[in-house]
Amino acid sequence: MVTWLIREAIVRLYPREGDLPGAEDCDLDAFLARFRRETSPLMWLGVVLGAIVFHLTPLFTVSVPLPAFALSRELADRHAQRISTTHVYLVRQALFLVKLVAGLAWGGHPSVRARFALPPYPPDPGTWRTS
Amino acid sequence: MSPTAGGAHVSFRSKDDASFDAEFDYVVVGSGAGGSAAAVTLARGGARVAIVEAGAWRDPDDYPSSAYGSMRDLMEDWGSQVTMGRALWPVVQARTVGGTTVINSAICVRTPDDIFDQWEREHGVSGLRERVGAAQDRVERELFVEEVPESARGLSNLHAKRGADALGWSHSHYMQRYVKGCLGAGQCFQGCRDRRKQSTNLNYIPETMARGGLVVSSAPVDRILFERDRAVAVTGRFVHPATRATGTKFTVRAKKAVVVAASVTHSPVLLMRSGLRLPALGKFFRAHPGTGVFGCYPDPVDMNVGATQGWASTGFRESPGLKLETLAIPPELVASRLSGAGTVLMQRLGEYRHLAMWCHAVRAESTGSIGRGVLGGRPVVRYTLDRADMERFRQGMVLLAKQHFAAGAREIIPGIAGMPFKLGPDDVDKLEEAPLDPRRYVAILSHLFGGCVMGRDEATSVTDARGRVRGVEGLVVADASVIPTNLGVNPQHTIMGLAMTFAEELLAS
Repeated sequence: MVTWLIREAIVRLYPREGDLPGAEDCDLDAFLARFRRETSPLMWLGVVLGAIVFHLTPLFTVSVPLPAFALSRELADRHAQRISTTHVYLVRQALFLVKLVAGLAWGGHPSVRARFALPPYPPDPGTWRTS
Repeated sequence: MSPTAGGAHVSFRSKDDASFDAEFDYVVVGSGAGGSAAAVTLARGGARVAIVEAGAWRDPDDYPSSAYGSMRDLMEDWGSQVTMGRALWPVVQARTVGGTTVINSAICVRTPDDIFDQWEREHGVSGLRERVGAAQDRVERELFVEEVPESARGLSNLHAKRGADALGWSHSHYMQRYVKGCLGAGQCFQGCRDRRKQSTNLNYIPETMARGGLVVSSAPVDRILFERDRAVAVTGRFVHPATRATGTKFTVRAKKAVVVAASVTHSPVLLMRSGLRLPALGKFFRAHPGTGVFGCYPDPVDMNVGATQGWASTGFRESPGLKLETLAIPPELVASRLSGAGTVLMQRLGEYRHLAMWCHAVRAESTGSIGRGVLGGRPVVRYTLDRADMERFRQGMVLLAKQHFAAGAREIIPGIAGMPFKLGPDDVDKLEEAPLDPRRYVAILSHLFGGCVMGRDEATSVTDARGRVRGVEGLVVADASVIPTNLGVNPQHTIMGLAMTFAEELLAS
């Protein structure tokens, strides 16, 4: 449920636009599973809180008493822009963290890098010297 | 211990393993610029040295490729540490063998002469100028310091030089860096897999091992042990690099001295955890906070092609108190750096290839403190820029905007909350009137100083002018936490020069 909330927030923060892939085109489920497994509890908690803030605030941005995941595409898009640029600093920071993590999924994906004439990243080995 | 060529390396050991114990002449806590420079100096002097590092030892083949991998494998807590103050600004530090030298841009700037004057005048610290200078000469030879080669400059750095020249700026130059034959891969932040960047895990640490030293990695030191008033050992528990599981206990004893070089945030907190009570401990924290301004160019810039940081100006160091630099960041970091979300953000990101980011580092006079957090005693950085520093901060953005326009940018993206997303050449006056509230800006703290500052006055310093901690024997601090002022330039060279000088002093004593 929590991961689903994060996923739905990310999809709305980084939608497909023209020939630019959106987060949903970037193996998001696999990324989130990996992120959940690898990140620190504090970082994960921050992202969860950011996603909850995103979903619970449409009343204040588009005056609709529904969670963001239940909004139409157009309303969700307007909400995403408004909540990420709100004047309430802590809310903006909470969304910044979700944007940061989502950006790692989106910007590191081969399809996005290809769009920017960058080669795909080789895998991150995640290894270290043991002897 | 598992022997390797000339020395030994011990990495994570689980709880099921026996505790690890060793004894060396000197124990150095931390393996970044300060720790590695101190360690190799001691080893060259004939001492047996153990380096104890909180992070894992990753060779270039182990380096991550992506920003995700860099945050996971090389940064402390995914880079999640932020200042506690009016604004939450990230504090960037690495956690790996080689420390921040693995992830920085290897920028080499000698300690400015006026800094030694200031240290003497304001803090009673003298006798360092010649010795630090000699050490820096040595480091420049050993780490192959060279100007960014023409083939690796990339358009962003070339544009920056052109803009600065058009404005007639002095001290505009391609950087001198600890890089041997840069290929311009644009991967400094992830560690240089091409082995061109001379991070200390490639040179001083292996040399320390080759001279009979020991490296203990994945081993965050919990406390320094004392016998009477003498530091005699460090102890802690291994932490698994991937799972963060706690391992068995380690204790490394020092026959002669313990050298702490665990970073500006960790060194003072380690001393606090070890029971030291000094009035200046954790005080006088300083930094060079900075932010970036994007220029939008008519043709693709592809800022990630070429040196990550290749151009700089030190012409504004004294007034208003700034350093200007280029800084290329990959799409995944630009994505969060640009404001907005949804379709608007994606349209903005569509311009990525046309963006060049240049940044400033403010020679801030504001001071903060380092303390222990309530959860696990981790470092907490309390820091807020005062109005004068925020004015410098804003002035730096104005300079970068003018430089972009002089280089041919059509628009700039200042990234200030509440201001227009883009400004044109005729809008620079709007930037000059930008708000001074730090919460409006996305900034980072990359150059940190203080917390264990050196000085003559016992009430306002933690160490003397040779890094020796007051009130105890056999305990030296040899990292940026001893630096009592800001520098106005990148600190790695100063840290290395000081650490080598302090290590020479230890050998002599």
